[in-house]
Amino acid sequence: MHKKMAFSFPDEVLEHVFSFIQSDKDRNAVSMVCKSWYEIERWCRRKVFVGNCYAVSPRMVIRRFPEFRSIELKGKPHFADFNLVPDGWGGYVFPWIAEMAGAYPWLEEIRLKRMVVTDESLELIAKSFKNFKVLVLSSCEGFSTDGLAAIAASCKNLKELDLRDCEVDDLSAHWLSHFPETYTSLVSLNISCLGSDEASFSALERLVRRCTNLKTLRLNRAVPLDKIANILRHAPQLVEFGTGTYTADVRPDVYSDLAGVFSSCKELKSLSGFWDVIPDYLPAIYPVCSKLTSLNLSYATIQSPDLIKLVSHCPNLQRLLVLDYIEDSGLEVLASSCKDLQELRVFPSDPFGAEPNVSLTEQGLVAVSLGCPKLQSVLYFCRRMSNEALVTIARSRPNFTRFRLCIIEPKTADYLTLEPLDVGFGAIVQYCKDLRRLSLSGLLTDRVFEYIGTYAKKLEMLSVAFAGDSDLGLHHVLSGCESLRKLEIRDCPFGDKALLANAAKLETMRSLWMSSCAVSFAACKLLGQKMPRLNVEVIDERGPPDSRPENCPVDKLYIYRSIAGPRFDMPPFVWTMDEDSGLRLS
Amino acid sequence: MQKDGAGRSWGLGQHRCMELQLGLALPPPPLIPIETFDLNSYGNYETREALGTNALSWPLLKLGPADNDINNIHHHNSSSSSSSSGGGAGCKKRSFDEAPFFDEKRNVPKTLHLLLWTNQPNDEDDDPSNVLHENSSSAIFKNDGEGLVGWPPVKTWRKKVHHQIPNGGAENNRLPAVENGIGGRASKSTYVKVKMEGVPIARKIDLSVHHSFEGLTNTLMRMFGISDGNRKSFKLTYQDREGDWLLAEDVPWRTFIRSLKCLKLIRSRG
Repeated sequence: MHKKMAFSFPDEVLEHVFSFIQSDKDRNAVSMVCKSWYEIERWCRRKVFVGNCYAVSPRMVIRRFPEFRSIELKGKPHFADFNLVPDGWGGYVFPWIAEMAGAYPWLEEIRLKRMVVTDESLELIAKSFKNFKVLVLSSCEGFSTDGLAAIAASCKNLKELDLRDCEVDDLSAHWLSHFPETYTSLVSLNISCLGSDEASFSALERLVRRCTNLKTLRLNRAVPLDKIANILRHAPQLVEFGTGTYTADVRPDVYSDLAGVFSSCKELKSLSGFWDVIPDYLPAIYPVCSKLTSLNLSYATIQSPDLIKLVSHCPNLQRLLVLDYIEDSGLEVLASSCKDLQELRVFPSDPFGAEPNVSLTEQGLVAVSLGCPKLQSVLYFCRRMSNEALVTIARSRPNFTRFRLCIIEPKTADYLTLEPLDVGFGAIVQYCKDLRRLSLSGLLTDRVFEYIGTYAKKLEMLSVAFAGDSDLGLHHVLSGCESLRKLEIRDCPFGDKALLANAAKLETMRSLWMSSCAVSFAACKLLGQKMPRLNVEVIDERGPPDSRPENCPVDKLYIYRSIAGPRFDMPPFVWTMDEDSGLRLS
Repeated sequence: MQKDGAGRSWGLGQHRCMELQLGLALPPPPLIPIETFDLNSYGNYETREALGTNALSWPLLKLGPADNDINNIHHHNSSSSSSSSGGGAGCKKRSFDEAPFFDEKRNVPKTLHLLLWTNQPNDEDDDPSNVLHENSSSAIFKNDGEGLVGWPPVKTWRKKVHHQIPNGGAENNRLPAVENGIGGRASKSTYVKVKMEGVPIARKIDLSVHHSFEGLTNTLMRMFGISDGNRKSFKLTYQDREGDWLLAEDVPWRTFIRSLKCLKLIRSRG
C-alpha cells in the first residue's frame, strides 16, 4: 500500500477504527470520504440496511459488501399496514434469499419488515446458512408454520426468532417440536401473532426448560393462563415476557401459583400479551411492577380503575401501550406516577364507532405532556383536539421526536373555536426542533404545511390524510423539509404542480406515497420519463391508466428512488412509468 | 364532533397568484414570530391572514440563467442523466460504481422544472377538486359498509381485538389471533347475533372459531347457561339470507356458515 500522504493509516488500522462505527448513516458517510475509505469500509461492513428492497438489487449489495453477516430489508410502503396496498403488490424476499444463499453461507441475521416471506424462503434459509442466528419478521406474511418447522429443525445456532405482527398460516402448533432436544441456544422467541387452537404446550415447556439463556419469550393468545406458571417456573431469568390469554375461572390456587412464579422473576423488565384479561388476575403481576420499564396493554380490555391501579404500581415505566379505556383520568395518574415515561401509545377501543365510548380526550395527552419530562414519542387516537391543547403540549414538551396524532373523524376542527388545527400543529413543529416523525389529522389547510416546511427541518417522515387545500400545501413540504425521507399522503387535494415542480427533491427521499389525491396519469408519465433514478409506480385496480383520459387522477402512486431500475415482479394492477414514455407492463 | 361547514372557503388555499418559475428554490421568508403563538391572539384569524399574505405572494423562485434546458441537469457530473441512448426494456440499470450511494445530505439541486405554472384564473381543468369529483365515484374508496378503507389507521389485528366482547369470559378463551391465513386481510366481522327463546337480550358469537355444529352448540350451551341435561330440549335454528328460518342440523356445516344471518335457540316440543 503506497502512502503518499503523511496522515494516512494502514488498512488494518482504519478497519479497526471503522469497527466502532455501527450506524448505517455513519458508515455511508465514511464510505464517501475518498475511494480508499470506500474500499476499506465496504469490505468490513458487517450489517447492511436496505430501507426499500426495490431501491437496489441483491446482486448489487452482495457485490459491494462481500462480507456482511446481517441484513435488514424493508418491503411494502407503511400504508400497507392499513390495507391501502393491494395484496400482491410485491415485496418478495425470495430473490434476496436465493442470491445470498449462493454467495453467503456465513450469513447470520435476517431482519425483514413488511415483506412477503414464503415457506420456500424459510426452507432455503434453513438449508443455506449454517451459522444462522437471528430471524426477525415484522409485519410479514406469506408463510406457514411449516416454514417455521424447517427453521426450527435446521438452525442449530438460532438465537432469536421474532415474529412480530405477522400473518402466519397456522397449520399446526407442532412446529415447535421440530427444535431438536439437543438445541439449547434460544435467547429470544416471539410467537405472539400465531393463532393455533391446539398449542403444543409440552413442546413449549421443554424448549423453555432446556434453553437456559432465554431472555425474551412472548407467547400467543392460545396459551391459557394456567400454563403460564409452569413455563415461567423454568425461566426465572426472563427479561421480557408476553402472556397468552389472561383469563380463567377465578381460582385461588391458580392465582397464588401465578403470583408466586412472577415474584421469582427478578429480571423481568417488560410485559405484554394480556388478551382477554380479567382484573382479578392482574394483581399477580404486582411483584414485578416496580421494575417494569415496558408494558404493553394494548390488547387488555379492562377499564380505567383497573388500569389506574396497575399503572400506579409501575414508577419506572418508560414505555406504555394501552387502549383508550385508560381515559383522561388514567393518563393523569400516569403523568404523576411515571416520571420516566418516554413513549406512550393509546389505541382506540372502538375505532369505527360514531360516538365516543370512553372519556378520553385531548386532556389526557396534555396531562402526560405536562407531567412526563422525558416523553419523546407519542401515538394517540382521540376524538377531539384543540389548538390550545396542541400549543400547550408543544411548549411543555419540546423534546418530542415522534408525534403521531390521529383524530378519528377526518377533518375534525378545533372543538373550542371551530378553526383548523393549523396553528396547533404549527406549534408542534416550531417548538419540537428535533421532531423526526409526524402524523397529522383533523381539519388542516395549506397553512399547516407552510409551518411544517418552515420549521420541521429535522423531519424525516410525515403522514398526511384528508388535509390541505391545494398544491401549495405539498409544495411547502417538498421544498422546505430538508431531512424528509418518507412522505405518505392519502385523500388530499394535491395534484401535478407541486410534484413536478419538486421532482428533484424526490431523489433525495426514500419514497413518496400518494393515494386518492389528484395526480394525473400524464404527470406520472412525465415524471417517469424525466427521472430515470425514480421508479414511478401507478397502482390502480380499476384497470390500465391509459384506458382513461390522461388528466384523470391515478388511484395510488408510489414513487421511490432506485438504482436497480424498474422491477419485474409487478402484479397486473401496477404500472411503472419509465423513459420509454409508454407503459411498461410487467 | 365539530366539523367545518362545507361551504367555508379558506382563502389561502384558493390562492392562484403565485408563479412558479425556473431557477433556484429559496427558503420561504420567516413566518409568524413566536410571540404570536400566544393563546390570546391565535384566534384572530384576520391578523394571521394579513401576516400570511406577505409570505404567500412570492414569486417563490427567481429566474436563473441557464436552467431553462432540462438537459442541463447536473447530478454529480454524471453525464448519463440526459442520455437516453441506453433506453429500452430494462437496461437502465446503472453500473453500481458509477452512482455513489445515496447522499442523504446532498442539497436539493436546481429545481427540476417539469412544469411552468402561471396564473390562469379560469383553469378549471387544473382544479384538483374538480378532477377528484369526476372520478371519486369508484367503489374502491369505500369498503363494504365500514366506511373509508384504512381509516382510522389501525392495524388489522387490532381491529379484531375490538370486536371482542369486553367481559372476556371463558367462552372466548381460545380465539385465534389472526383473522385469516395467507394473504387475506378480511375486514368483515365474523360475529352473528344469537337469541334464545324467552330471553330478551341477544348475544353475539364469533363464527370463525367454530368448525362444527358440535363446537358451536357447546359454546351456545355455555353462553346461555344450559346444562348438559337440558341440552336435548333445545334446537338450533338459523335465518338465512332469504329471510327463512331453518333447522341448523338439516344442512351441511359449509352451507350453514355461508348462508346464515343470525341464530336462534328454540325449545323443542315433543
